[in-house]
Amino acid sequence: MIRSARTLFVLAALFALPAHAETTLTVFISSALRPEVMRQAFDRFEAANPGVKVTAQTGGATSDLQAQYLNTVMSAKDSTLDVMLLDIIRPAQFAATGWTVPLDKAVGDRTAFLQRYLPAYAEADSVDGKLVALPAFADAMFLYYRKDLLDKYHLPVPKTWSELAKEAKTIQAGENNPDLQGVSFQGAPIEGTVCTFLLPYWSMGKTLVHDGHLTWDRDAALKSFALWTGLVKDGVAPRNVAEIVTDQTRKDFESGKAVFAVLWSYGWNLFQSPDSAVKDKVGVAELPAVDGGKPVSCIGGWQWGVSAYSKNQDEAIKLVRFLSSPEVATLLAEKASLLPVFPDLYKDPAVLQTVPWLAAALPVVETAKARPVTPRYDEVSNTIRTQTNAVLAGSETPDDAATQIEARLHRVLH
Amino acid sequence: MTAPTSGVTPSFDPSRGPTPRRKRRFLDANDAVLARVLLAPTFLLLLVIVVYPVCRLVWTSFLELSLTSGLPPRFAGLENYVSLATDPEFWTALTNTLLITLITVPAALIAGLALALVANLPFRVRWPVRLSLLIPWAIPLAFVGMIGGWFFQSDYGLVNDLLRHVRTTRIIWFNSGWLSFMAICLTITWKTSSFVALVLLAGLQTIPDELYEAASVDGAGVFRRFLSVTLPMLKPSIAVAVIFRMITSLQTFNIPVTMTRGGPGTSTVTLAMYIHQNTVDFLDLGYGSALAVVLFLVSMAVTAFYLRQVRAQP
Repeated sequence: MIRSARTLFVLAALFALPAHAETTLTVFISSALRPEVMRQAFDRFEAANPGVKVTAQTGGATSDLQAQYLNTVMSAKDSTLDVMLLDIIRPAQFAATGWTVPLDKAVGDRTAFLQRYLPAYAEADSVDGKLVALPAFADAMFLYYRKDLLDKYHLPVPKTWSELAKEAKTIQAGENNPDLQGVSFQGAPIEGTVCTFLLPYWSMGKTLVHDGHLTWDRDAALKSFALWTGLVKDGVAPRNVAEIVTDQTRKDFESGKAVFAVLWSYGWNLFQSPDSAVKDKVGVAELPAVDGGKPVSCIGGWQWGVSAYSKNQDEAIKLVRFLSSPEVATLLAEKASLLPVFPDLYKDPAVLQTVPWLAAALPVVETAKARPVTPRYDEVSNTIRTQTNAVLAGSETPDDAATQIEARLHRVLH
Repeated sequence: MTAPTSGVTPSFDPSRGPTPRRKRRFLDANDAVLARVLLAPTFLLLLVIVVYPVCRLVWTSFLELSLTSGLPPRFAGLENYVSLATDPEFWTALTNTLLITLITVPAALIAGLALALVANLPFRVRWPVRLSLLIPWAIPLAFVGMIGGWFFQSDYGLVNDLLRHVRTTRIIWFNSGWLSFMAICLTITWKTSSFVALVLLAGLQTIPDELYEAASVDGAGVFRRFLSVTLPMLKPSIAVAVIFRMITSLQTFNIPVTMTRGGPGTSTVTLAMYIHQNTVDFLDLGYGSALAVVLFLVSMAVTAFYLRQVRAQP
């Protein structure tokens, strides 16, 4: 009798378990975007929400690899992922495919809610009148420079690309080190090379897309190609620039092999690490302009989206709201030099103490331009990066490349 | 034990008697049923994992189906095939794929044959030779591509380091479409010649020593023995190796993806890479399927050729 009662009790306990079972949320993040710092944010959420566990799934190191993975998982309608970290170029695609849950209901008054964020991110995440994702952290391309070398030769921080070329040549000649590159930028057929092409193009005041229509300026495109190939020809940029991926620029600058570098904000934290050859020798500035043009940067940044196939959407939305809060933004800025999406934090004394260059970063992020917003962004990107890569490698003429880009973008953007 | 069921039959002929005959037919039917039952899982599996996907692929290739359009699929007839025929990137990718096949299959065959002949020599300890043959075959393709990428990298690559002794200026392999293509072909040849060598080594070991002895007695030298004994006896193995190599080289994907990402420009994009780009990157499933159908047909043609060859052999 006692035994059967005990058995009954055990059985009852077993059946009761699922009612108290924990919800596990799986979050897809990039292996290159400081998963260990992200983990701290997840820990805080778990502490405040008993019964919810957050596990991270780290994917490819580059935006391209992550997109390939997410495209495969999401087109299979897989429910494994609950929350995804998306590059700023993706929300339009995720809205068109219906892969993320609209978050409008979760935030109440959308306009009031989005006012707290930098306008660029509020815009990027609202597609066709729907809130597709919530901003995670901001990013933009900066000019990193060797403070020590500029001081040594009494040179100012360059304001134009021609000034940069001149200063780089002076330093390269003075240092007499054949391995010292003047400037490192990205030329491999990767996403970063799209920004490489667009930086001078935008600096001339031209746009690529306006109101969803292609506004191609052939002359500006040719000048953009000419600027980069000119830097290679003059020996300021390395001859193998067509091989350079984003993290190669970071490595080259970190090991002291470049005077200037065109790179995203993640570089700062690593340049200051104990292993870095340039620790305390680095300055960050706005990117130079073309002669007679305006300085401009390429906007980056990441968003938290909730998967439309998630089985725990309510908890996932709660998590995303927490991750897109000033609290987490402060954590990411202090621990990983990831730029906040809240303008107020750029002036927060506590944050500025650990990331002093944040004050200078705000105007750059505020004026940085966005790559074309279209659900078919991957096709736009592929066209620009392959053609730019071919021009930088010298395997195609700038004229042919400009013609190709125009023809192909016409197919996508009309 | 078989016993006649009726004792009425005056003369019993086992071959004509009704009972054994009925029994035999009964057994036949049983066997056929059993065979079908036993084969059914295999057929079902093939249906699910081969026939259904292929039919689905062909069907999708007639649809306008792009996930980024947000539109439901639309029957488009041959539209995808028409745009394919006028797509210069498709033709570049197809040409690159065929060129890779034309270059790397014979190259791997020659290198593989040489390796197999070396491995077949009467070494006292055989395993180090066999192991070194196995290693390139055992390394995953993507790793080989990455290794190849490092080898030919202009700054810290091993190839340029070796060339430094004979040249003053370094070669930037990945700046030139032609050199990138050759670097990829060399890497593919390195990776695949060990597979060819393994197949040929198995073939070499089936050639009886008596043939060589007889040839020697007839006064044949080493070269003559190779031409008149080894090569003819090795023909079936060579056919197997070549066909398998051709099919895999038509599907070349991992090595160029990891070595050059198709660059510079589109000069090293293969058909499989172009399919991947259109389906996984662009989410244009209709067009991607049409491209995949083309690759499927090319592979089928090669396979059909192989099957004919196999059937023709005694």
